[in-house]
Amino acid sequence: MATDPILKINNIEVKYHEVILVLKGVSIEIPDGGIVALLGANGAGKSTTLKSISGLLKHEDGAVTDGSIEFEGVRIDRKSAEEISKMGIVQVIEGRRVFEHLTVEENIKVGAHRREKGVSVKDKLDKVYHYFPRLKEKRNEVAGFVSGGEQQMTVVGRALMTNPKLMLLDEPSMGLAPMLIHEIFNIITQLHREENISILLVEQNAKLALNVAPHAYVMETGRIVMDDSSETLRENPDIKDFYLGMTDKGGRKSFRDVKHYKRRKRWLS
Amino acid sequence: MDLTLLLWAVANGVMVGSIYGLIALGWVLIYKCSGVLNLAMGELTLIGAYLCLTIYTFLIKIGHPLPFASALFLTLLACIVMGYLTERIFLDRLIGEPVLTVIMMTVGLMFVFRGLVGLIWSTDTRIFDPPVFSYDAFIVGGIIIERVYLWSMVAALSLWIIFYLFFKYTPWGLSMQATADDEMAALSLGISVRFVYSAAWIIAFMTAAVGGAFLGAKNGLNISVGELSLLVLPAVVLGGLNSVPGAIVGGIVIGVLQELSGFLLDPYFPGGVKDTAPYVFMVLFLLFKPYGLWGWVRIERV
Ligand SMILES: Nc1ncnc2c1ncn2[C@@H]1O[C@H](COP(=O)(O)OP(=O)(O)O)[C@@H](O)[C@H]1O
Ligand SMILES: [Mg+2]
Repeated sequence: MATDPILKINNIEVKYHEVILVLKGVSIEIPDGGIVALLGANGAGKSTTLKSISGLLKHEDGAVTDGSIEFEGVRIDRKSAEEISKMGIVQVIEGRRVFEHLTVEENIKVGAHRREKGVSVKDKLDKVYHYFPRLKEKRNEVAGFVSGGEQQMTVVGRALMTNPKLMLLDEPSMGLAPMLIHEIFNIITQLHREENISILLVEQNAKLALNVAPHAYVMETGRIVMDDSSETLRENPDIKDFYLGMTDKGGRKSFRDVKHYKRRKRWLS
Repeated sequence: MDLTLLLWAVANGVMVGSIYGLIALGWVLIYKCSGVLNLAMGELTLIGAYLCLTIYTFLIKIGHPLPFASALFLTLLACIVMGYLTERIFLDRLIGEPVLTVIMMTVGLMFVFRGLVGLIWSTDTRIFDPPVFSYDAFIVGGIIIERVYLWSMVAALSLWIIFYLFFKYTPWGLSMQATADDEMAALSLGISVRFVYSAAWIIAFMTAAVGGAFLGAKNGLNISVGELSLLVLPAVVLGGLNSVPGAIVGGIVIGVLQELSGFLLDPYFPGGVKDTAPYVFMVLFLLFKPYGLWGWVRIERV
């Protein structure tokens, strides 16, 4: 029997500054303990979707103006970021936003600002170092000066400290070398399995996302245009063309195709 | 020139300057955490100082054994309430409004608070009576050091250490530092920005009150104490608006500058050299180093 989804987005409409309509009827479901990917070109509205869930939207003068968002059956679209975080949702915002002037360890400790009974900060810190051994080596370095990969690990580790049930990851692979991406995604799937954290993964790197998540949504200009299992999506000719960068024949694209792809992509975003 | 007198001026400057540095720390905290340029810092100083004096007078009357220390302590407690209310009532609503609106609000607060002080405590000079610190000074290596100066420095130093430990080792302090660095990222972890802003105002009230109480214990208390603590502006400009160590060093430098200019220039330009010098210095400094000595130049993120 299928369990209830941990998160349900029901046909939401989102506006910034009361006039800029960015999401025009988006519905997404995340199964409890599942990983779901959200794909789409730049400007499609992926980050806005995540901010609607985490409540950060309100701090950018945005609002969910229609539809609803439910987390474990409770409506959260009117709640503050603080309340939503307390319920067990954490967003890792795009761009590796470490606290630049704090050390790596201080960054991680900030995630534990809400003290819980029975769990010491030390234990939680050890858990983060268990998943990210590299961070332990860099613990006393100022976060603004460690490498991009280490910064990405720091922000995921920091998010882990809040004890999330659902983690919203915004383009964790952006700007990282393939080796590092591989390492970080291994850790993320490990976290998912061992800590039973559900994940909504936003990516422009569709190939990667479809490998990690069994189910994915595709977004274009504020609407969900596709929603299917990753297996099916991988075989979809449009996805192959626009997101995976290969033609039907599986070979490299001709110059004309690439140009067409770029044109289409520009139009999309 | 008399070297002992010169050393005396520098020593006094360092000690008075540590009070400016303390008040500047409070100012920088508000700026770092919430981006508010608070022009009412002098008035926070007045309120804290008058409150301390009132409590002191009362404790003397009832024969309390430790009147000044206890008065300071009770004033600090009151600062928690006053800082919280000021943030909630006057500034919370302006979050996200243009910078100029917020600055004008602090200008408004300046006049409101000054009016309140006049209303409650009148405009005559009040003194701590009996004096908090005895007038028999120490003599160290031929330099005369007044007790009130020495204790000012001790108070400033202790508070610096307490705040340092608070920021470094408590979850509240870390949350404040995180918010100062990247507010959106702090919000994403569920940190209450309201809490952080209130805490910044509370600490600013505390530093201002302690600073004001010592300045008042030295010279007596009237509106001019508020003007003295406006010296935080040249101090923070020197240190770079968002650097806490910069604020402390800036305060000390301004104190030394004041004493030295008084000592060296007063014979030639009788009158207010001491009051003017820090501002002349600030103007010159801004021309050459607009970010101060330790200010961050933010990396813009897109
Ligand atoms: N704070 C904001 N105010 C106004 N418009 C915004 C804001 N943030 C995003 N947008 C607009 O919303 C659209 C979607 O942006 P975003 O959700 O960041 O897309 P994605 O993450 O898919 O690249 C873009 O057109 C962007 O310009
Ligand atoms: Mg985005």
